[in-house]
Amino acid sequence: MNHDEKNQNPKTPTITLRKFTLSDVDAFMSWAADPRVTRFQRRDPYSDPADALAYITTHILPHPWYRAICIDNTPVGSISVKPAPGEDRHRASIGYRLAYDYWGKGIATEALKLTIKAAFEELDHLERLEAIADVDNPASQRVLEKAGFKEEGILRKYVRLKGETRDMVMFSFLLSDAV
Amino acid sequence: MDEEVTLRPCDLADVDDLYEYASDDKVSAWCRWDTYTNKEDLLNYMKTCMIPHPWMRVICYRGRPVGSISVTPYTGADRCRAELGYVLASQYWGKGIATKAVKLTLETVFKDLKDLERVEALVDVENFGSQKVLEKSGFTKDGVLRRFSIHKGMVRDRILYSFISTDPLV
Repeated sequence: MNHDEKNQNPKTPTITLRKFTLSDVDAFMSWAADPRVTRFQRRDPYSDPADALAYITTHILPHPWYRAICIDNTPVGSISVKPAPGEDRHRASIGYRLAYDYWGKGIATEALKLTIKAAFEELDHLERLEAIADVDNPASQRVLEKAGFKEEGILRKYVRLKGETRDMVMFSFLLSDAV
Repeated sequence: MDEEVTLRPCDLADVDDLYEYASDDKVSAWCRWDTYTNKEDLLNYMKTCMIPHPWMRVICYRGRPVGSISVTPYTGADRCRAELGYVLASQYWGKGIATKAVKLTLETVFKDLKDLERVEALVDVENFGSQKVLEKSGFTKDGVLRRFSIHKGMVRDRILYSFISTDPLV
């Protein structure tokens, strides 16, 4: 989609981040059931709220850092920070998703900025945040750049996504990058 | 020299030869593991890690084990990629042996490992020897990953190199 068309004169609404609760399942479905949102995700869109509830219970609630992106306390997306496996606890990767109707308003960028600040404050020893975006997802690449991430390179044939092996762009934000 | 470098699976009987470089500080400096101080620990590593490994070979020079090379696949959606690692006894550095071992590996690993499309290697920004090995073997530099991994207690910048199944063998 062309974000520039939707972004002509938006005023980014006030965004807050908070933990999920099970009662957020309907809000969660507003992006998790949408194939436009899940296009660059490994998972297919949810069709059954029971599956979404199971995901919230088994994956989101116990997750080390998973937040709902809220407008007026209503979730319109989510953002998560996942520490690297093994001994590299100084490094974590960010993933985010936003309901389609809220694209193009600067919300993801704002959520990222809030997350960067919170993650470096809350996660011990954290020095590097990283994120990858599909080469065919320029909207997400722009969001990361606007949030202050630096592009490090293109990783060829990096992950399998819905039956295809994709090239991904790697971005990072270091503790020392923070202004 | 080329014909003198061969790869073969690891055998427990290789322990004495492998111990020669596994016990060498100069060699372990660039590796994730610490210098071995006894053969029993090395034998244990060979049994639990090297022999069951999905793709691990001993590097032989004139028939004698002088190092090892491995390609370790990731799992799930990431199984299209695998990480290359190698180690060589220090007295054999600078002769093109590691480069030959990497080239031999690239010739067969994409057939040996199902689903593999990308072999990658993470090299320290100051490990110029290894950077040259990969460049001479036909790897592409994807980029520098800043503060990427912890090596012997220090956070290091790493260069990420890749070789895709469709890249030309050199």
